[in-house]
Amino acid sequence: MNQNLKDFYFFSDFLNRKVHHPSGQTVGRISDLVAERAEPYPMIIGLVVRPRRRKKSRRPDHRRFYLPWEKVARIEPQITLSEEELPALKTSLPEKDIILLQEEVMDKQIVDTFGAKVVRVNDLHFLRIDSHLRLIHVDVGFRGLMRRVGLERVMDRALQWLFSYDLPNQFISWKYVQLLSGSDLLQLSVSQKRLSHLHPADLADIIEDLSGRERSAIFHALDTETAAEALEEIDPKIQKALIETIPVEKASDIVEEMSPSDAADLLADLPEERAEEILGGMEQEKAEDLRELLVHPDETAGGLMTTAYLSLAPGVTVETAMARLRAEAPNLDILDYIYVVDEEEVLQGVVSIRDLLTAQSQQTLTEIQAPRVVSVKLEEDQNEVVEAFAKYGFRAIPVVDEGNRLKGVIGFRSVLEVLAPDAG
Amino acid sequence: MRMEKDYGKWVSASRRSLWRTVGLFFILMGPGIITSNVDNDAGGITTYSLAGAQFGLKLIWSLIPIMIALIVIQEMCARMGVVTGKGLSGLIREKFGAKITFYLVVGMFLTNMGNVISEFAGAAAGMEVFGVNKFISVPLSAFLVWWMVVKGTYKSVEKAFLIACVFYLSYIVTGIIVKPDWEKVVEHFLNPQLSLNPSEMTMVIGLVGTTIAPWMQFYLQASIVEKGIKVDEYKFARFDVVLGSVIVHIVAFFIILVCAETLFKNGIQIETAKDAALSLKPLAGKYCTYLFAFGLVNASLFAASILPLSTTYLICEALGWEAGIDKKFVEAPQFYGFYSLMIFLGAGIILYPNLPLIPIMYFSQVINGMVLPIVLIFMLLLINDKKLMMQYTNGPIFNTIAWVTSIVIIGFTLFLFIGMI
Repeated sequence: MNQNLKDFYFFSDFLNRKVHHPSGQTVGRISDLVAERAEPYPMIIGLVVRPRRRKKSRRPDHRRFYLPWEKVARIEPQITLSEEELPALKTSLPEKDIILLQEEVMDKQIVDTFGAKVVRVNDLHFLRIDSHLRLIHVDVGFRGLMRRVGLERVMDRALQWLFSYDLPNQFISWKYVQLLSGSDLLQLSVSQKRLSHLHPADLADIIEDLSGRERSAIFHALDTETAAEALEEIDPKIQKALIETIPVEKASDIVEEMSPSDAADLLADLPEERAEEILGGMEQEKAEDLRELLVHPDETAGGLMTTAYLSLAPGVTVETAMARLRAEAPNLDILDYIYVVDEEEVLQGVVSIRDLLTAQSQQTLTEIQAPRVVSVKLEEDQNEVVEAFAKYGFRAIPVVDEGNRLKGVIGFRSVLEVLAPDAG
Repeated sequence: MRMEKDYGKWVSASRRSLWRTVGLFFILMGPGIITSNVDNDAGGITTYSLAGAQFGLKLIWSLIPIMIALIVIQEMCARMGVVTGKGLSGLIREKFGAKITFYLVVGMFLTNMGNVISEFAGAAAGMEVFGVNKFISVPLSAFLVWWMVVKGTYKSVEKAFLIACVFYLSYIVTGIIVKPDWEKVVEHFLNPQLSLNPSEMTMVIGLVGTTIAPWMQFYLQASIVEKGIKVDEYKFARFDVVLGSVIVHIVAFFIILVCAETLFKNGIQIETAKDAALSLKPLAGKYCTYLFAFGLVNASLFAASILPLSTTYLICEALGWEAGIDKKFVEAPQFYGFYSLMIFLGAGIILYPNLPLIPIMYFSQVINGMVLPIVLIFMLLLINDKKLMMQYTNGPIFNTIAWVTSIVIIGFTLFLFIGMI
C-alpha cells in the first residue's frame, strides 16, 4: 500500500467496491469493514467480501468471507490483494473486540453525546496513518447522505450555480459517539464514559427518542446512579415500561437512588405486585418512607412531597446543624431549609440555609428560626399547593398532618411538574 | 390526561375480564381505525362514486377481497411497529441502505404531494356544494389543518381524528335514505360477476389502488410506535386494524350503494364526487346531497391533516432528521419546513386559476404505482427478518397469503401503471 493515497477516506469509498487478485481478476465486492475497538479511534483490521456470484451458488450470503487488512496490497487505483490463492487468504472473523461497521454503524441511529441528540449515520470518515485506516468521524450531514446516494457532485454543482454555496460536512468525532447496537452497549466502561458526558435530563430525552429495544439496551448499560437520575426525568409511561424490563434486584437499587417523591410516583404507576417486589428488595428504612408516600393520592400535597429532608431538634446548635447538613446533603432532595421539630415530630419552625450561614455558630436553631411557619396539610389539593408557592415565594413548603406533625416537604421541582407536565 | 390515567387504573383493577378487555381496547384503539378511515379520502370517495354510477352494484363483491388484502397488509405493519418500536422508513433505511431509501423517499414525497392536492381539491368541491367559494374554503382548511397539528398534542389530535371517523356515518345515513333493494344487494354479494370488459377491469384495479396506498403502511406503523403499544397488548392493536378495515369497507359499500341506486338507475354519468353529490338532489332530495358533500369535506380535511404529517415523519425518520410536533422549529427545521411546504403548496396549487388537475393526479398515480411494489416487497422482507422480528415473523401459511396478496396487488398496480403510460 503506497503511492497516491489520500489522507482521508469515507466508508462509501469502500462499500461495494470490487476486490481484485494481483492478476486483475475480480474476487468479489466489499460488503463490510471490520474495525478493532480501540480508544479513542478504532482501527480497520479487515474486510468482509461478498464473492462474485457464480451460477451454482444460490445463497451467496452464506459464503461471505473475512480478509485481514494485511492481505490487501494496495487500495489505489483498485483494491488489490497480495496473494493469488484465495483459500490462503480466507479466515474467520477474529475473536478480538470488533465492530462490523456496515452492520452496526452505517445507517443506524447513534447517540451524539456531545450534542445530546439521536442522529442517523450517513457515512464514516477515516484517517490514513501509513498503511492503516482509523475511524475518526461519523458523518451525519446532508453531504454524507448525497455521497451515499451518488449525487454529491450534482448537488455541489447545483448549490454552486444557484447560491455559490458549499455545503460543509457535518462530522461527529468518534469519541462522542455512542452506538445503540448490542455489542457496544455491552462494553460497559466505554458506554459509561460517553454517556456520562450527558446531563440526566438530556439523557432522558434521548432515551425517550429511541425505540423500545434500544431504550432498554441503553438503560441497562447505565450504572445505578445515572439510571436513577435519568429515570426521574423520563416520561411516566416510558418509566414504567423501562422498570418492567429490568430484573427486580436492579430495579430496587435504582428506585432506592431516586428522589423519594419521584420514586413514589413511579411505584404508584406499577402493578401492585411488582411495586411490592421492588420495595421488598430495598433498604428497610427507604422502603418504609416510600410506603408512607404511596398512601397519598397523586393530586394532593401528600402525593407531591418527598421524605428526603433534614429535620432537627430545637436545641441543636448552628454548628451541629451545619455539620449534619453537610453529612446528609448527598441524599437530600431539599437542601434549602432545615425543619425544626420536637420529639413528637410536631413542626416548630424552619431555618433557611441563609439563616444558618449568617448566624453565630453557638446559637441554637430556636433562636434563629422564622417566627411563623407556612405549611400545607397532607390532603390539600395540588392547586392550593401551587398557590402557596406563588404567594410566599418559598423554594420548599413542609407538609403536616392534623396534629401539625411534619410528614414531608414539597420541593419547587414538584410544583413545576404540576404546572407544566409536558415541558422538558 | 388525568382522567385517562384513572381510567387506565380502573381497567387494570377491574376483575371482570370482559370489561377489562373492552376497556383496554378503548385505550389502545385509534391507529388502525384512523388509518383505514383516512383511506376513504377524496380520491377514494370519487372512485367509489364512479364505480356505483357506472356499474351499479355489479362490482360491489370486490370490496370483500380488497378488505382481506388490506387487513393482511396492515396487520404486518402493526406487528412490525409493536415488535421493533421503529417506523417503517427507519427500518427500510437500516436494512436496505441510504441510496434506495433516498429514492423511495423522493417518490413518496411526490405521490403524497399529489394526494394532498387532491384532498384540498376535494374539500373545495365539497364546500362549493354548500355555496362556499374555494378562495375562502381552501385557505381556511389549510390553516385549520396546519394549526391543529402544530398546536395540538398526539392525544388531542388523535381524538379529533376519531371524531372525524364518526362523521363517515353521513354516508351510511345517505345509503339508508335512498331505500335500496336489500335483496338485490345480497344477491350481488353471493353471485360475484366480472366480465373481462376493459372498463370494468380498470375500475376494479382503481378500487384496489385507492384502498391500498403506500403512505398508509408508513402512517399506521408510525402511529402504533407513537402510541407505545407493547407486545403483550398486540392483540388489541390487531383487532383495531381489522375493525378499521371493516369499517372503511362498510362506508365504501354505502357510497357505491347510493350511487348505484340513484345515478346508475337513472343513467346519469358523473366525473367527480361533487357531480355525484349534486346529481343526488333531484333523485333523493337535498339532504342527501348535503350529507354526501359533508362527508366529502370531512374526508378531505381528515386526509389533508394526516398525509402531510405522515409524509414528513417518514422523510425525517429515513434521512435522520429530528421530527415530532413536540419539537421547536429550530430543533426540527426540516420537519416543520416539509410539513408547511406540503400544506401550503397543496392548498396554493388549488387556488391557481385553470389548474391542470388531471395531469397532476395522473403523475401522482404513476409514481404511486412505482413506489407501492417496492414498499410491499420491503415489508415482506422485513417482517421475515428473524433478527428484527424474533419469534414474530410470518408463519408459513400467513406468509403465503401475504406474498400472494402483495403479488396480486403489485400486478394490479403495474397493470394500471402500464395502462396509464
